[in-house]
Amino acid sequence: MANITVFLCRCFGEIDNAIDFDLLRKELSKDTSVSSVSIVDSLCLEADIEKAASQIKETKADRVLIAACPTLSRGNLPVDGLIKEGIERHKIDLVDIREGCAWIHGNDPEGAVKKAKDLINMGLAALQHKEASKDMRVSVHPDALIIGAGPAGLAAATSLAKTGFKVNILERASAPGGMLRLISQLYPTGEDAADKLNPYIDEVENNHLITFYPQSKISSIEGCIGNFTVQFSSQGEDNSIQSGIIIIATGAKIFFPTGLYRYGEIRNVITQMEIERQFLKGSFDAKKPVFIQCAGARDKERPYCSTICCPASLKNAMRLAGENPGSEVFILHRGIMTPGNVLEKYYRDALSMGIQFICFEEEKPPMIMGNDRVEHVEVYDAVNGITRKIETDLVVLSTPLVPNDDSVRLAQMLGIEVDRYGFFSESYPMHPLETKMDGVFICGSARWPVASDQAILQGRAAAMKAVSYLRQREIAASTLSRVPGPKSGHARVVPDSCTGCGNCVAACPFEACHLEKLEDRHISKVDMMRCKACGNCVSVCPNGSMQIPEHNYRMVGEMIKRAF
Amino acid sequence: MNQPRILIFACKWCGLIGADAAGKKRASLPARFRVIPVECAALVEPDAILRALAGGIDGVAVLGCHSGGCRYNNANHASIKRFELLKDLLDTTGIGGERLLLSFGTAHEYHQFEEIIENFFNELAALPPLDPWLSPFGVVS
Amino acid sequence: MAGFEYICNRKKDAVLVIGGGVAGITASLDLADAGQSVHLVESDSHLGGQVSKLDKLYPTDHCAFCLLWTDVKKCMEHPLITVHTLSHVKELKKESGKYSAVILKNPHYIDEKKCIFCGRCVEECPAGAIHPGWEHAWPPSFVIDESSCTKCGNCAEVCPSGAINMELREEEINLVVNDVIWSTGFKEADLRHLKEYGSGTHPDIMTSMEFEDWTAEGGINKGEIVKRSNHSVPQNIAFIQCAGARDLRMIPSCSAVCCMHALKQAGWTKRRNRTIDCYIFYTDLRTVGRDYYRYSLREFEGTEIKLIRGRPGLIHPLPGGDGIAVQFENTLTRKRELRKFDMVVLNGNIQPSLIQYRPGQDEKTAIPPMDKEGFFNTESDETSTFACGFGLEPADVAESVIQASAAAMGVMNKETDQT
Repeated sequence: MANITVFLCRCFGEIDNAIDFDLLRKELSKDTSVSSVSIVDSLCLEADIEKAASQIKETKADRVLIAACPTLSRGNLPVDGLIKEGIERHKIDLVDIREGCAWIHGNDPEGAVKKAKDLINMGLAALQHKEASKDMRVSVHPDALIIGAGPAGLAAATSLAKTGFKVNILERASAPGGMLRLISQLYPTGEDAADKLNPYIDEVENNHLITFYPQSKISSIEGCIGNFTVQFSSQGEDNSIQSGIIIIATGAKIFFPTGLYRYGEIRNVITQMEIERQFLKGSFDAKKPVFIQCAGARDKERPYCSTICCPASLKNAMRLAGENPGSEVFILHRGIMTPGNVLEKYYRDALSMGIQFICFEEEKPPMIMGNDRVEHVEVYDAVNGITRKIETDLVVLSTPLVPNDDSVRLAQMLGIEVDRYGFFSESYPMHPLETKMDGVFICGSARWPVASDQAILQGRAAAMKAVSYLRQREIAASTLSRVPGPKSGHARVVPDSCTGCGNCVAACPFEACHLEKLEDRHISKVDMMRCKACGNCVSVCPNGSMQIPEHNYRMVGEMIKRAF
Repeated sequence: MNQPRILIFACKWCGLIGADAAGKKRASLPARFRVIPVECAALVEPDAILRALAGGIDGVAVLGCHSGGCRYNNANHASIKRFELLKDLLDTTGIGGERLLLSFGTAHEYHQFEEIIENFFNELAALPPLDPWLSPFGVVS
Repeated sequence: MAGFEYICNRKKDAVLVIGGGVAGITASLDLADAGQSVHLVESDSHLGGQVSKLDKLYPTDHCAFCLLWTDVKKCMEHPLITVHTLSHVKELKKESGKYSAVILKNPHYIDEKKCIFCGRCVEECPAGAIHPGWEHAWPPSFVIDESSCTKCGNCAEVCPSGAINMELREEEINLVVNDVIWSTGFKEADLRHLKEYGSGTHPDIMTSMEFEDWTAEGGINKGEIVKRSNHSVPQNIAFIQCAGARDLRMIPSCSAVCCMHALKQAGWTKRRNRTIDCYIFYTDLRTVGRDYYRYSLREFEGTEIKLIRGRPGLIHPLPGGDGIAVQFENTLTRKRELRKFDMVVLNGNIQPSLIQYRPGQDEKTAIPPMDKEGFFNTESDETSTFACGFGLEPADVAESVIQASAAAMGVMNKETDQT
């Protein structure tokens, strides 16, 4: 027989002026599972918590029911206090009789006392059937793995190495640098990309904590936070490394606008990347360049703004105008995207340099005229309402960044998600660099197109998020909750009745369920490090084989039975 | 006058906040509803709702987060679909889908909670009392 | 020494985080999770900053409080974070690589650790000075508004838990900290001296933060869209972008958040009352983040929000006080128009909160170098100035928290450099 101690909190009269506690106590003492009922002034004060704890120890009560205010108010204080005094979490239950009963039914004392009785009864039922989830601790491998050695990856790697962690970097190319190797200068400072990159490359080469694997290709990623095992080949040699966390900084790909604005068909229609390549070789001779924005972006196929193309055009337009005095530079745009203080000033600088901006509409894109080379561009100037014919010797198309080809494959290997465009997506807006898998972080253009300074910022931020996990020697599964307090439990499979139908595998939003062979059949298995106890698997299980012990089927059934 | 009774499954991150706020504001609602807090609306088994209706509870409400606002990586998306199917089932069996109230992301303020539950009480009061023989578990237990 | 051993073993002075908005909260939590003790100073009575005043967030249409309150709670409960609310930094001096700070802490006459939120004090207060600080603040507690409090002491007598002590006086806290992170956020600039916007001339001409508060689901109107002048439903609302911003007379920079903010407000207006016509007067519709462009398309197509490219030249209340005249030129059709609107929402006039900060005579606070627009200039002193959020550069929630984590990493790296 259960031996439950009930504490009724008066809340200094806030509760018992609406609910008749004497009546309640009388009713409760009829219940055979209740060993004692105590009325206290306010259980959230430390003195009362201590008193309650010693009383529980004296009476050797199995379980404790607290009827007080909800967790959102101060109800978690007695619960946490009792846990601190050594009482197990699943042996305590909190019933809200203040907000949910005394206050909301203040004008109906009869109804309130009945409701309080029912709520406490439900709590008693819950306590009798509540079980505890198992917990699991894994040791954390103290190394970090960074995929991609662009600005974001390098920033993350050097930050972590400076903090004292060993870092492995996997890079597809043969040298670090990513997109920074392909461009000449950075906006808005005009700094050489190489100057930005070199300190990072020095650090990668000289810091003994950083290991760089060039020309690497990942074949598999297994495990979860604390212990990822990555199989890959680097320069043709198969290799395997362990890591505690993974930071994804794979960047993005440049979109080639074949077929758009006669790109690839006639000469002198080039992309931003080609002009950057020319700048890397030396100066560029163009007297009348025309930049066309949103080439392949903000259209039906790629309905997003790629963030970096407007400022990049401003940079190259100003550079061409500066290097070729007397030149006329046009930027044809659909709204200049230069948010913020620095970029807005950059835009004003371009305006004051005499660069001409023409706004066109999506439905009336500019036309490239000319036979084998571009001669002029015809554009409907939306602001002035006229069609303009601009003589030109060079058309530069500003194309968006698009996701890497293998981003979906990588996402599948890691169990994270990509958004509708194919970029890696976060699971929660307030934590934009964290994915739904604990210990997997995203940064840089792999997450969303960003300029190099933002990528560096994000790399450092992702490294910071990683530190909080890497510094722990071991992680308990119950702490990976992302909300205040521990996780509410873990899903548990009853092996005898599980038929291996795989419903839970399909339903789990955290990829925590998988099928495992047991003798001659398959049954479901839950990875506790991934399970967040959302209960989707419980709801789809056809025969109740999947349960969350803290919220199990019998408990809910009993609570419903006693609800009225 | 029919006095309906309601069981509410409230997600900790949305519906329960509304319920608590309603209490803090001393909203006065009929004392004929009970709240069972759940971590996520996904944890509410359709089976539990059927049990409640079978046990003679007149209406069940599920209050969860709005789509896209779930703390469990859109776990509630799937549950919304399940509950819609359950509504169909309730209609087919003659219990009536209107006895299941779904509110996702619309009950997190005190007045919203008050309004939703009050309306639900009124709707249920207009319905004839639930015939226990219609309910799937009525016969068994 | 290996990373985690190093971090676990060091015993260092704390880090001071100034400003308890999303950026400050994130920086504090990141540092504390990495084992660094933190002092977080916030001038308001609760953490959360400007985001706690928002109703919804773009582009997910999340409730702002929902994202925020769990992190606020984590922050309040974290053993390594000391939160100083109703406080400001009175003195900050750099001495031999460390900072000595004096924090002036105004009294919380109601002890939030003891307040049980019963509300008896509210009933007793003759001045009506007691109200809940923020609905979703944790721990839930009432706050006494110092400006209207008459110090009669009635509240203290009725408080059942003894949480109220009117005898408390402001106190000074002396700290020695290793580093300072500035996350002071933004404030709304006063638009009244730009006469053409008509700010302050009519109750239905409001700034976007006022509109957000006025129409908030948890606010006074319970999410209903009504006019402030007579509580009737407006027929149309004009959202004026770049009001005071991208304007060399006032704020030269683009606030980066208000295009999306207006799209959100117009979208929610439509969602709550489809009969209200929403017009957004924009210069460039800047939608650069994930799903932002899609958000603008969605509002545009699905809910018939009218986008007009152009900045109104004159906003003036009509004679008799019913309605507001807006004169504008649609630059895409080149038509000049004069139209009557029932409500006007001015958007974009936000700037760093410290822009007008001038240290008082008895205050000696070393604030980081700022540019003309009030943004911290961290480049000049990269190794010791850490800033994040809107005080560093215009940023929305996602960008602010990224900057905050990066600033925290900067602090960690610097700490390591010294050893």
